[in-house]
Amino acid sequence: MDEPTIAFRGVTYRAQGRVLLGPLDLEVRRGEILILLGRSGSGKTTALKLINRLLEASEGTVLVDGRTTREWDVITLRRHIGYVIQEIGLFPHYTVERNVALVPRLLGRPETEVQERVDGMLRLVDLEPEEFRDRYPHQLSGGQRQRVGVARALAGDPKILLMDEPFGALDPLSRAELQQQFLEIQRRIRKTTVLVTHDVGEALLLADRIALLDGGKLLGIYSRAEFLESSDKPVAAYRAAWSGKLQFPGDDRHA
Amino acid sequence: MLEFLRFHRVEIATLTLEHIWLVAVSMAIAVLVGVPAGILLTRKPRLREPVIGGANIVETIPSLALFGFLLSAPWLGARADRIAITALALYALLPIIRNTYVGITGVDAGVREAARGMGLTSRQMLWQVELPLSMSVILAGIRTATVLCIGIATIAAAIGAGGLGEFIFRGLAMVNDSLILAGAIPAAILALAADLGLGWLEARLRPLHA
Repeated sequence: MDEPTIAFRGVTYRAQGRVLLGPLDLEVRRGEILILLGRSGSGKTTALKLINRLLEASEGTVLVDGRTTREWDVITLRRHIGYVIQEIGLFPHYTVERNVALVPRLLGRPETEVQERVDGMLRLVDLEPEEFRDRYPHQLSGGQRQRVGVARALAGDPKILLMDEPFGALDPLSRAELQQQFLEIQRRIRKTTVLVTHDVGEALLLADRIALLDGGKLLGIYSRAEFLESSDKPVAAYRAAWSGKLQFPGDDRHA
Repeated sequence: MLEFLRFHRVEIATLTLEHIWLVAVSMAIAVLVGVPAGILLTRKPRLREPVIGGANIVETIPSLALFGFLLSAPWLGARADRIAITALALYALLPIIRNTYVGITGVDAGVREAARGMGLTSRQMLWQVELPLSMSVILAGIRTATVLCIGIATIAAAIGAGGLGEFIFRGLAMVNDSLILAGAIPAAILALAADLGLGWLEARLRPLHA
């Protein structure tokens, strides 16, 4: 079997003496989409940030491509990992073109290649380069901005993609559209992806596997089918919350 | 009054230029010290309290006292313009340091996190993200400091450093309102012009909002 692209080995993360995560053992396989599912404070974002070393483990090691994140030069590590967050974080003073070109330029790619890459990435996320390259982030809709965020994360051709509630701030229709589009992109480029969400529907739609976290502990890892059938209590609770029939006060249709 | 201004026009022009020179040199020093100091505070938060506190204390010293106090300092005390420039630069520091610090720490957390996540080094972060996005706030600090300095520079005449304060002090001594106005009006015009000019620049440098 392949060595895992990302591996957590006995990882604990503490802040101000409190354990926020761990001990965590978890492997992410090459090319899969692993969902970290959990409520706020479950440690899912913490786990994500340990991968590109925005946070450092208090104990244990995080391995990326077989090397611990401490062995990696942190700047090199981050430039080889795409990162998409809910706030997107496009540079407001940069055009779409400069935002997407950021990592390839940091990597010192020749300018013609950078330009091709920008156009390619924009087309990949379904934004016409001619129309969008020279716009500023404030001239885009929320959905378009998030697409640019994805294009920017992929522009450096990273092997790994980390996404923290990437579609969380979008309206339901744009969200559904972007989720579908992301699946299509993923089918073509097959990046090892770790995606954080609290949305069960999103987890089930996108996941190859779902890692369920609560209170900093890993409760279990499930394939989609397993998640739908598991009788584990927390999984059942998530399922109920997700598929629960809408009940309004004073509504006795189900009575 | 007009007659008076015409009669003194050469002297008014000379003293105005002297005034501008005093303010410009002090501001240049204050910017060269204050902006890097403000940046340093964002990197070493532990320095924030003592540095901003120290600058606050300087701000509370009456200007006449500060000028007088510096008279006894070695090297500085030897020339009146050195004293004036040092004192003005000290007064200008607080708004510049504070606005640099506030401007940079006020950069959107999402932008900052994305930039770090993409592997910008601390230096690239500063030049490509933090400074461009906080430029208008930093400039607002420089603007406040400039207007403040133009006002305080009139006091510099008390220690013989020249500037438009010459007229004011002479007018006070001779109980001559025209003389006082000959100093006060150009100083006010200078302050307004600096305020408008820097305000315009500040608006132009305001980052586009996401």
